[in-house]
Amino acid sequence: MTATDYSQVAPQGNIFLPKECKIVNVKQVTELERHFTLKHADGSKVKFEPGQIMEVSLFGFGEIPIGYASSPTRENTFDIVIRTVGRVSGAVNKLNEGDSLFIRGPLGHGFPLEDLRKKDVLIVAGGIGLCPTRSLIQYITDKRSEFKRFILFYGTKDPSQQMFLDDIAKWKKANDVEYHETVDRGDSNWKGNVGVITELFKKTELSADTRVVICGPPIMFRFVVAECEKVGIKYENIYLDLERRMKCGVGKCGHCQINDKYACIDGPVFRYSDLKKLEEAL
Amino acid sequence: MSKPKVAFFDFTCCEGCQIELTNFGDTNFLELLNHIDIVEFREAMTETSDHIDIAFIEGSFSREEDRKRLEKIRERAGVVIAYGACAVTGGINALKNDRPDYKQCVYGKDAEMPHLDSQIARPISDAIKVDFEVSGCPMDKYEFLDIVSHLLHGKTPVVPNYPVCVECKRNEQICRFDEGDYCLGMIAKAGCGAKCPADGIPCEACRGFIDSPNEAALKKVLMERGNMSEKWAEKKTKMFTANLRSDAKTLGV
Amino acid sequence: MNPYFITANDFDAFVTKMSKDKKVIGPKAKKQKFVFGEIKSADHLRLDYDVTILPPKKVFTPTCQTLVTFDGDKFEGNVDNDGVILFGVHFYDIRGIDITDLLFRENNRDVNYLAKREASTIVGSNIQNVSKRSFWGSIGTSDSGPKGHDAFLTKMDGGYVLECLTQKGEDLVKFGNWSKASAAQVSEAEKINKDVMDKCSQKLSHSSSEIAEKVRNSFDNQELWSNLAEDCFSCGSCNTVCPTCYCFDVQDKWNLNQVSGMRNRYWDSCLTEDFAKVSLGAGSEENFRETRGERFRHRIMRKATYLNEKLGTPACVGCGRCSAACTADIADPVNVINKIMEV
Repeated sequence: MTATDYSQVAPQGNIFLPKECKIVNVKQVTELERHFTLKHADGSKVKFEPGQIMEVSLFGFGEIPIGYASSPTRENTFDIVIRTVGRVSGAVNKLNEGDSLFIRGPLGHGFPLEDLRKKDVLIVAGGIGLCPTRSLIQYITDKRSEFKRFILFYGTKDPSQQMFLDDIAKWKKANDVEYHETVDRGDSNWKGNVGVITELFKKTELSADTRVVICGPPIMFRFVVAECEKVGIKYENIYLDLERRMKCGVGKCGHCQINDKYACIDGPVFRYSDLKKLEEAL
Repeated sequence: MSKPKVAFFDFTCCEGCQIELTNFGDTNFLELLNHIDIVEFREAMTETSDHIDIAFIEGSFSREEDRKRLEKIRERAGVVIAYGACAVTGGINALKNDRPDYKQCVYGKDAEMPHLDSQIARPISDAIKVDFEVSGCPMDKYEFLDIVSHLLHGKTPVVPNYPVCVECKRNEQICRFDEGDYCLGMIAKAGCGAKCPADGIPCEACRGFIDSPNEAALKKVLMERGNMSEKWAEKKTKMFTANLRSDAKTLGV
Repeated sequence: MNPYFITANDFDAFVTKMSKDKKVIGPKAKKQKFVFGEIKSADHLRLDYDVTILPPKKVFTPTCQTLVTFDGDKFEGNVDNDGVILFGVHFYDIRGIDITDLLFRENNRDVNYLAKREASTIVGSNIQNVSKRSFWGSIGTSDSGPKGHDAFLTKMDGGYVLECLTQKGEDLVKFGNWSKASAAQVSEAEKINKDVMDKCSQKLSHSSSEIAEKVRNSFDNQELWSNLAEDCFSCGSCNTVCPTCYCFDVQDKWNLNQVSGMRNRYWDSCLTEDFAKVSLGAGSEENFRETRGERFRHRIMRKATYLNEKLGTPACVGCGRCSAACTADIADPVNVINKIMEV
């Protein structure tokens, strides 16, 4: 995993000063979630690693940790998805095209691109976990020849929770993306799979050398890892994107501490084999 | 844009929080008056208006016949704010909730007069939906101002959910227990700036409990370090937080 | 750098002159206790203090510190780089500062702490009175002595020896009638500081490395932690008064005009219930340390094991402030750790 370029993170050497971004486009994706496309207000190129995070902020409301939801291969703009859960997200989700938003980032360590190249890659995304993994999905589809098989599992509570419907339509059609989806509860229009995300492992044969990336609610990790184990995938080839209260994003405030690691700077992406040794991580 | 119409209502209480408001008299409050239109305020004026943007309710809900009045206010008001301990938790009124003989205690031979009839004291939120709360006995006028200023700008105020000890320690106060006194700051919700301990008096938890108050440990500490009898330590939190105690449920609150 | 000596008679004039020229923060009385506060004349200074309520970390990372101010979409950083003379700091608190220095410096330099810290001068002083709950005599290793100070003051019969370690320390000599200390005075100062080390009435029963290993191995002993934390109020007092706790929360505050305001950081406490809680939306939330036992364990782990490799010492300096601040009296690291060692 590559180290963060902190000169980008800390303008004027002050790690708490954000930079301004402009909202280029906004879409309401579900009842609670809005999808923003942003550009740096100073016109600079967007540089980050898939899986890295940023602190999104609105003055007077505060900051929240959010993963990049687009690939750095698209360097003029970047995407984020905000779910309305509290004060900051609620305020951000009232913004419109042309409004300013502030970010500190990129922060932390993203997905291990070097380890994924020339390998089969399985991404398992549960619910809002699709957003940060979309940075990797887009990266892989943009540089498809650098990877071998690409399998994507996506599970949500119900069909109304599905995000990036345009992307899903594309993945379904693409010959080089093996896309499988499920919902916990269907509705009258739903004709696809119903059941927990681990059911999708029955849909395809995985090689033991597959690299797996998992992002979703904490409860999901254990079950998905167990499925990977059945196929013979080693712990060091499984990567988890962790959720924690990453308040400062720069390894200071202590809120996201797991043992002697900080989710915000040592993660949020960790190798499962490392996490297993870390009490409280899972 | 016309100024938001604001009204003040009181139920079972001492009206001390309204008094606290009129005590403002400083530039901040006068500035606030430039931004709102007060249409009902018993302590300072009489007037009624049909639509209200923000209704401030003081006092506890302690008579079933008040339910209708509260529902009417809810219908008329865009935002309902319960302010002061009585409105937010039932406050000091709830002290009577486990005393069936409270009327005899207080009113003696007049106890059976019909206008003295009341049920247990409950928070306003037991009758109607409350949008925001301003805790405290009396409520803190600056916190009130801060909350109103947030609402006037369509913003949500933040109220801490940690105990008074946090603020008291940040203030570098000498702990009441170290002065041979007692204190309830460990289980009391902060946000007040720990003013009472700073003034040399114990916290009585007038803003209510934090989410998970350790009541058993409190009783122990009040006995061991606060020199209280077991009975006294057991009952100590009945003053402001009777409705929040784990035994309150048995009273039908 | 030289050791200097000043007579007791001349010392007050030194303090007064120094405090006229520079902002001096030192131990002062607050009723029967002590706090670090501004020293404007020598009679404020109470070098006979046992321990202060809050550690001197508050000078460099105040309980509420404005990081950024904003006005609409305009914003600017708010770095305080006014140096002070932090005077009369006991060695355990210098060690605390050494630890926060390292943590605020590593990975991402936090100028909001470091600017003031690096512009300041720290003068240590010997412990004249030992606080009841302290146990600094039995924690750490032989090479975990204080490092971040610029000078160290030791009171002895007839006067004070000032050992200067940096130019910033040496610069203080001009404020008083200091003369070169004799070899006898210097060795007397060394003896005083050495002798005080076994004056704590409380002691850890094992070495820091033995403790680190045993505490870590006790991680999964749920019963142990929930028993230890049974009376915990989750009030965070043990964190707030700790010289090596530096966790913070960041909150934005509006001015009453609701257009301008500030982004502040406040001391936070991992013992409080919401510290590791995340809202997931639609009313659901995840608390990564939900029980009192888990939070209590996290603090002990942090103090006794998690940071040891990085710091070279435990992240506890033995000041005993948490023991004194805990109303339920369950935070005392000596009791807790000695109990864990017996399990």
